[in-house]
Amino acid sequence: MLGDVLAAELCPPSPHGLVSLRTELDSAARAAAAIGGWTEDEPLRLSKHLVTGLLRCPRRALNEDHGPSDDVVVGLVVDAVAKLATVSPRRTVTVDAALAFLSALGDSTVADHLAARGSGARQVRAEAAARIEQLAAAWPVIDPAWWPRVEEPVRVALAGGAVTVAGRLDVLLGGPPTGRPAVVVEVKGGRWYDGMRADGHLYALMLALRDGEVPAAAVTVVSDGTTQVEPMRAALLQHAAERLDEAMGIAARVAAGEPPAMSPGAHCQHCPVRPDCPAGQQPQLVAAARDMAAQLQPESR
Amino acid sequence: MNAGRLRADVAGRIADVLAGAAAPLTDVYVGWTAAHEAATCPARYRGQGEDGWGFPGWSPVLAAGACGRAALAHHIARADLTRRPPPMPVPLVAIRTWMQALRSPPEPGRPAEERSSVGDWVRETWEAGDTATLAAVAATAGRWLAGFVRVLGWPLPPQFTLLNAPGPAAVPSLRWHPDKASPVTVACGADARMGRVTGAGGFALAVHRVSTGDDGALRERAAFESAAGALAIGVPPASVLVTAGDTGERVTLPVDEDLLAQGAERIVGVVTQRAVAVERGFDPADATPSAACRHCDRLADCPPGQGWLAAAGRWRGGLPVLSVLPPG
Repeated sequence: MLGDVLAAELCPPSPHGLVSLRTELDSAARAAAAIGGWTEDEPLRLSKHLVTGLLRCPRRALNEDHGPSDDVVVGLVVDAVAKLATVSPRRTVTVDAALAFLSALGDSTVADHLAARGSGARQVRAEAAARIEQLAAAWPVIDPAWWPRVEEPVRVALAGGAVTVAGRLDVLLGGPPTGRPAVVVEVKGGRWYDGMRADGHLYALMLALRDGEVPAAAVTVVSDGTTQVEPMRAALLQHAAERLDEAMGIAARVAAGEPPAMSPGAHCQHCPVRPDCPAGQQPQLVAAARDMAAQLQPESR
Repeated sequence: MNAGRLRADVAGRIADVLAGAAAPLTDVYVGWTAAHEAATCPARYRGQGEDGWGFPGWSPVLAAGACGRAALAHHIARADLTRRPPPMPVPLVAIRTWMQALRSPPEPGRPAEERSSVGDWVRETWEAGDTATLAAVAATAGRWLAGFVRVLGWPLPPQFTLLNAPGPAAVPSLRWHPDKASPVTVACGADARMGRVTGAGGFALAVHRVSTGDDGALRERAAFESAAGALAIGVPPASVLVTAGDTGERVTLPVDEDLLAQGAERIVGVVTQRAVAVERGFDPADATPSAACRHCDRLADCPPGQGWLAAAGRWRGGLPVLSVLPPG
């Protein structure tokens, strides 16, 4: 549980390898920029979604977004509940409270989606209410001395600004200048799967490069009741950097004109462009990938 | 360039623009947002109406910096009463303490809250029982304050004064009017001043951004705030420190003739576009298409913007956007 993590003695790893990690990433970004044609004025802008998307299925990642699905909207509500519980701990968190919080922040995505869904909105709201129940019950009251910040922006510029990696952490606790080690908290609205860990790793890497201190842990809190706690270590940062390197390479080839690859998998089930996708239309490929993911999941947890 | 010469130059150019306008202008507010929009796409700026950019009213996102500064000013003022250096503020606690002080009559030994527009808004929000908005303010202002302290460091730099914040530990606002009858108000949006204002300058202005723009915008911002600051204070700053929370960067730009001239150009540019708006209003011929077209309210009336989105705009963040893929 997140409360247990914060109560424990946290020991962040040494920042010793950060300089060489940045050097490696800079070098990879320069190589990618030379192929992709990016410059400081017209850079490649990567986000955690794009990094994951490029590694998972470039074709899907580069398709135009046609608005959120019910699942995404429910995830946004879950996110908002966690953020609201963080900055306003005494409040009872409900779907309505989350919607009001989002509206106050100027984010109308959920409200617009529910309005467009008409009578179907009731089902979406019910699903959201079910998912936030466990999360709200498990969310601890966070001591303000942790400097809880929601939507903390972090950006890392590589290759002199030709590649930028930017994101907003769901919740950030501690870190400079609080005197406490940083804890990255990612909130997920769906069901746990192993791939969720990568977002926390990437944010831990970005935060380490920005602040010069490695976060003590990345915690993924999922609305199905799972809380995945990972003490950060050099190998995880290295792995996150390798994923980033690979994503930059894929992006460079696409920017240079190579057609984006199609990688069928379990993600095809929810892919909005599947009807137009030859690979996604081959059920045996999708089923095989889904089976493989199911087999791998218990081992990797 | 000294501030007197800058004031005379800018006032003269603004007077010429006002005199040449097809109809009298009223209430021209020249802040960074207006200057940036007028410079980056004049058509879009004028498309907001003859009144140009108008203050839309406070919201948690818009009030983040103002609430963060007010809370920090309150925190420092409380410490000043004890004659001890202020401890490092805990962001959410500092925000809540300031909010509570807004609702309470001043207690003996506590600093009286000077009225401020953002403070009045927070108090009214509280009285209306709008807890969602208050929670959102805590989130945005807490984030601003945390980033500000992280990047500037604590203790704050010597001779540090918060700007555009209420209370005894800050300077409430930096405004300049070309003359008493002028409809033009130039507002410097710097967050802090470091050093004392003397005739020889020697002080710096600090501008904190939660997120970075590109480096071009950084220099533009420094140019605007240095010129607006020189006009309002009467002495040009020696430098502008531009910080960013997302990257943790601190960039110091020395203020020279070129930077002040660039800032003055942006200030006069806003008034010029307002004068053009009176005569021609929105005119897509003056559009400068960019990624901002994706969110522009005037896109439906703007062929250059539509053209850009159909061509260069098919690339987003350095990658092509694929809406229709060829088979196979």
